[in-house]
Amino acid sequence: MKKRGKGIGSIFYGTGYGNGFPDVSRSVAVLRKDGKVKIYTGATEVGQGSKTVLSQIAAETLGISIEDVIFICEDTSITPDAGTAAASRQTYNTGNAIKKSCEELKRKIIDVTVKASGADAWEEINLRDVALNHKGQILKGEGEFIAETTEMKDETGQGNPYWPYTFNVYGVEVEVDTTNGVVEVIKAVCAQDVGRAINPKLIEGQMDGGFAMGLSYALFEDLNIKNGEIKHNKLTNYLIPTAMDVPDLEKIIVEDPEATGPYGAKGIGEPVMIGVAPAILNAIYDAIGVRITELPATPNKILLALKKKREVAL
Amino acid sequence: MKLHVVGQNNMRVDAAAKVTGKALYPEDVSLEGMFIGKTLRSHKPHACITIDTSRAEAMEGVVKVLTYKDVPHNHYGVLMKDHEVFCSEKVRRIGDPIAFVVAVDEEVASKALAKIKVEYRELKAVFDPEVAMHQDAPKLHGESNIVYHYKLRQGDIEKGLEESAVVVENTYVTPMVDHVFLQPEAGVAHMEKDTIVVTTATQYPHFDQLEIAEALEVEKEKVKVINAAVGGAFGGREDITLQIHLALATKLTGKPVKAVYSREESFIAHAKRHAMVMTYKTGADEEGKLKAMEARIIGDTGAYASWAINIMRKAGVHATGPYEIPNVKVDSYAVYTNNPFGGAMRGFGATQPPIAHEQQMDMLAEALNIDPISIRLTNAFKIGSKTATGQILKDSVPLRQCIEAVAEKLGFSVVSRGV
Repeated sequence: MKKRGKGIGSIFYGTGYGNGFPDVSRSVAVLRKDGKVKIYTGATEVGQGSKTVLSQIAAETLGISIEDVIFICEDTSITPDAGTAAASRQTYNTGNAIKKSCEELKRKIIDVTVKASGADAWEEINLRDVALNHKGQILKGEGEFIAETTEMKDETGQGNPYWPYTFNVYGVEVEVDTTNGVVEVIKAVCAQDVGRAINPKLIEGQMDGGFAMGLSYALFEDLNIKNGEIKHNKLTNYLIPTAMDVPDLEKIIVEDPEATGPYGAKGIGEPVMIGVAPAILNAIYDAIGVRITELPATPNKILLALKKKREVAL
Repeated sequence: MKLHVVGQNNMRVDAAAKVTGKALYPEDVSLEGMFIGKTLRSHKPHACITIDTSRAEAMEGVVKVLTYKDVPHNHYGVLMKDHEVFCSEKVRRIGDPIAFVVAVDEEVASKALAKIKVEYRELKAVFDPEVAMHQDAPKLHGESNIVYHYKLRQGDIEKGLEESAVVVENTYVTPMVDHVFLQPEAGVAHMEKDTIVVTTATQYPHFDQLEIAEALEVEKEKVKVINAAVGGAFGGREDITLQIHLALATKLTGKPVKAVYSREESFIAHAKRHAMVMTYKTGADEEGKLKAMEARIIGDTGAYASWAINIMRKAGVHATGPYEIPNVKVDSYAVYTNNPFGGAMRGFGATQPPIAHEQQMDMLAEALNIDPISIRLTNAFKIGSKTATGQILKDSVPLRQCIEAVAEKLGFSVVSRGV
């Protein structure tokens, strides 16, 4: 018999290294000879879209188009350290560093331009002309951002370990086949707090990816470790979802700008996957009245739990 | 604020290169005259070893076989430096690197791996973190397997549980899982005059640079890390895998050296999400207002600490979920075992506790005959809320909006409970 149920998963996530550990990002913005702006930073593009989002922050700050931002992040010998591409920290931390470096570059450009021509409105300044008129002079701005975090007390764990916090809520509807134990997610909604969306499409991409990864954590992934040995060590036995297993996700971006974020943005790379598994587990209970307390919720575990429930009822 | 670029759906700046195949991933990089490197790994979870590489080194086409003897400073790790670049006396997990063959091609390198003789004298191993916490359990490093204990205390837990109309208890278990990024580890190292250049895919090139320099005992400025296109990471590229092996191989041979892991080797080479056992006790009053939450969380960090301290701390801080609870007691532990090592993975310790706290919320709701949405809204963080660590949430807390949006879209008002 197929039974349906709904479940919700609601979470918070603290950005950054945490607990007072120095969490520093750096950026250098340089005006190029052709009027384009180079951004040098050690922030890695791991596929999450940081190169694009961080370029947008630079373009916004300088009032130029994203095509005029040259983003360099691949070489330790020419880029400043911007910390790791982790802890959902690059948009927030390095975004702030880039914004600062661009603001400083902007001040310097205004400074030399006002001295030279008397132009005072940023909109009247043509960066190509500035670069031409100041050949031989390197116009650059440097930016550093240090995240807010304090070390917690040893005995009580009290303190302000992270900032900011990001919120995520998933709701799912599942269909559980009580004859074979298969759980199918048939409907899913995600509401993601983003502070401010720098690039909504990229946020939606993260939500889709996070949903698939969370669904996989809830229902499929099992390394089958026996006496320290990973028995499921290839993609023929370590199951991850295909497009057939992942339904369309309804995506809701919730904007509530964070005062300390670049243009109000917060990091979302991790939060987007966290609410999925608990929502699925709650939906399974709603459908068939059994709590799966050990991941993954494989057909075998579902059938065993149902059997146990029937035995208790007898 | 009027914004002209922020908020726009700009196309990814790296999209064209990636969809046309122009983007260079480390596996795509080939340098003239380069050697191929392959790693010999432990087959035992806990053993003393002796290594004989002489037969492999005598083979035609084998340039060098690197072992611990070749590493100036044989230690690395993101926090504890408890990894050895190559195991010297003891292996602590299946997959620990023991040697690295540098050969003219892959075939020779593979054959040479089989010629290296490793004698294992097996030691008693421990795979269950709760067993590993006992004083008489086999030890992985030093005197105790408990790497870290995070204590969170707020209010009076006993009083809070007493004052609760309903208390629910359960134990939740989550396994280790893999990141399964698309592109298994690969890299090429070469010399640029006296600078060692390592081209790889990493989450943090400046930290890799530091770890390579420390292991090789060279100045940081004499190491350059080039981050090629990265085929996904999710935390799995935070710990070093092949970077030091390649750097050392090119430094000692003077020639470019490349290594590419198979999917199977990738599974064994990098960290896993921490397996956790989470025992929860949560109490609420008749209106569904949370009064108390007690949790004991044990995280299995396997053979090495990696980020265990930060991860189990994050698990402890996030153990309550996004709810105001006046009385909280959390004990979160990171424990060594002879399992694969635990490390960073998307969520970083904040992914596991919701498996517990969100089911606890639904159990409380059912016991109190309240719906799952209302109980969450009753307790949800808002501006001015105090977290269990005493932190005041001063800005941007749109949790209620998120819950209400999901409830509306999924039609949660008509929840029918149970079978």
